[in-house]
Amino acid sequence: MRRIGRWFDERLRLSPLFSAFVDRKVPGNIGWFQTLGSATLFLIVVQIVTGIVLTMSYAPTPANAYQSVLFIDQTPFGALVRGIHHWSAGLLVLFVGLHTLRVFIWGAHRYPRELTWVVGAFLFFIVLGFAFTGYLLPWDQKAYWATVVGTNIAGAAPFIGDSVLVLLRGGEQLGAVTLARFYGIHVWVLPASLLVLVGIHMFAVIRQGIAASPRRHPIVEPDPSLSRRDAYEREYAAEKSAGKPFWHSLIKDGIVAALLLVAVFILAIGAGAPLDAVADPNSTNYVPRPEWYFLDLFQLLWYFTGDAEPLFIFLVFTVAAGIFVLVPFLDRGSARHPLRRPIAMVLTGVVVVGIVGLTYLGATATPAGAIEIPATADMTPAQLRGLEVFNSEGCTSCHQIHGLGGHTGPDLSKAGFRWEPADIRTQIVTPKNDEMPSYGGLSEEQLNDLVEYLTSLK
Amino acid sequence: MTENDPTTVNDPTTEADPTTENDPTTENDPVAPAADGGDLSRRRFVLGGLAAGGAAIAAAIGVPVVAFGSAPAWQWKEEESAELIETSIPPTLRSDVWTSVGKISDFEVGAPRYVIVDRPVVDGWVREDAPIGVYVVRKSDTEAIVFDPHCTHLGCPLSATAGSNSFVCPCHGGSFDTDGNVTSGPPPHAMFRYEVRVDGGDIAIRALLSES
Repeated sequence: MRRIGRWFDERLRLSPLFSAFVDRKVPGNIGWFQTLGSATLFLIVVQIVTGIVLTMSYAPTPANAYQSVLFIDQTPFGALVRGIHHWSAGLLVLFVGLHTLRVFIWGAHRYPRELTWVVGAFLFFIVLGFAFTGYLLPWDQKAYWATVVGTNIAGAAPFIGDSVLVLLRGGEQLGAVTLARFYGIHVWVLPASLLVLVGIHMFAVIRQGIAASPRRHPIVEPDPSLSRRDAYEREYAAEKSAGKPFWHSLIKDGIVAALLLVAVFILAIGAGAPLDAVADPNSTNYVPRPEWYFLDLFQLLWYFTGDAEPLFIFLVFTVAAGIFVLVPFLDRGSARHPLRRPIAMVLTGVVVVGIVGLTYLGATATPAGAIEIPATADMTPAQLRGLEVFNSEGCTSCHQIHGLGGHTGPDLSKAGFRWEPADIRTQIVTPKNDEMPSYGGLSEEQLNDLVEYLTSLK
Repeated sequence: MTENDPTTVNDPTTEADPTTENDPTTENDPVAPAADGGDLSRRRFVLGGLAAGGAAIAAAIGVPVVAFGSAPAWQWKEEESAELIETSIPPTLRSDVWTSVGKISDFEVGAPRYVIVDRPVVDGWVREDAPIGVYVVRKSDTEAIVFDPHCTHLGCPLSATAGSNSFVCPCHGGSFDTDGNVTSGPPPHAMFRYEVRVDGGDIAIRALLSES
């Protein structure tokens, strides 16, 4: 074995490179949080390997895509491989986010690692691009409608929207050309871009060395006479000399990768990759919902209405993306420790709370028109009939009763307490405000039952 | 960091390493090797020429590649007639053919009904008769409106509620009345209508109109 190794080493001359890589000193205060980057890389490798083998049984046309996914699921290990691809994709989005957050809080985007951040920001966008293009491929209901909504959001952008929409879809409607395009983007354009950028990202990480965790008190006394570069080199050299060989931290990376693999297998075997009914452009009762990592954006769209909406959404997206890319040039200064960057930390907190909050609201929001208020035991027959009218007429789209339903109209949990029966009736038939559509089409009995039911809510 | 110091580097590939190019502490051009003048200018000429040649080759391949990849965004605009839909709400398909959606006497006045008809569809290389769903609202004995069943906000499928005679979007709570006008929520404009003809009691549709 050793002789074979030597034979190859004499020809490839790898051992000096290998040694330079694993034996180089890295700062000593590198811990579990620094494994998020390698965890991300691990998930990318899992995605590439499983993705390659999935393409060997997949046909990117509307006539065949769904059937070929069913075929994959019925082939031995097919469902497992697709499950791994699905779940590690979700974890990849999560870990890219956590890795980014870690780097920012640790101030590791500061000099001389600005470019590493910028490349990383584009990698983040590429991962989201993977998620977006990947989920059309099964050509099920979720895939189809999420892509309808997603491409329309892009299409709503001022001036360039129409072109972007057509560019994404490959035509004006979502169909055969779109699927072929998304497939090409998902398996060629994005992986190629990803590999190039990951290469640059890793190269920069290795050349600059892993950033030391910020210290409240500098490891060497600052010397104001030094240039920024010299001061940095001096400090990093001190961190390295107090540090440890790189292979030490590989232990933690390996443990995290193994844990992730176990989690992915549990999810892939336990939950599997979901598959809805086949895409039906003519269904009228499907409620489009994005994957969890786009729920925050989906939820955001509730809050903007009117002519300015497309412009506003476009501005929010571009400004947010621009700030994200330019973080190292906006968050400057020499202090890296989070406690010495209170404004940056507060802003980070706001963004994190915003994303988590919107995702939570999006996940728990009742899709308009689809939710049914359950009956309770103490209801009279008339009230029950009224509740049936309430549910079937889509009142829950806008109105909430005891936590179930939309937010556009007033909460009706205490309707009987707040309004007189006659007023409720008038409001249903001839609404005072424009937002509420008239329900004058209801029969007299239906109307009586509905008022009876609403009046009972106290 | 000695590894960035060009004088200690023997590997010829790292000599041209552009990452050391902007090194502020190095006084001489770090890209240039320690060579005498004539060789240096020849080296610069050859490398510059190769870079320019490489850029030309990249452009020669890149232009047709990008042009082909982005073709949908700029091709076939000229053949579009103004009355056909500009905004894309899927899966509406443009067609110049009149298609019957049913007898007007079969519809109740003012109550929307969902109808699926086969229409000629062009989807890239696919040309076929495919089912297309529309909402038909009868207005009188001789008038009907036929709507595309998608929300004008983001294209989610609208469901019709019988009692209120309205269309409701499950995505962000948009709603429309039976004339297709927005009654609540974020939709930016009224529902899209088809060009309709009522002839001998038969409702037929043609192209989707860009103006409601």
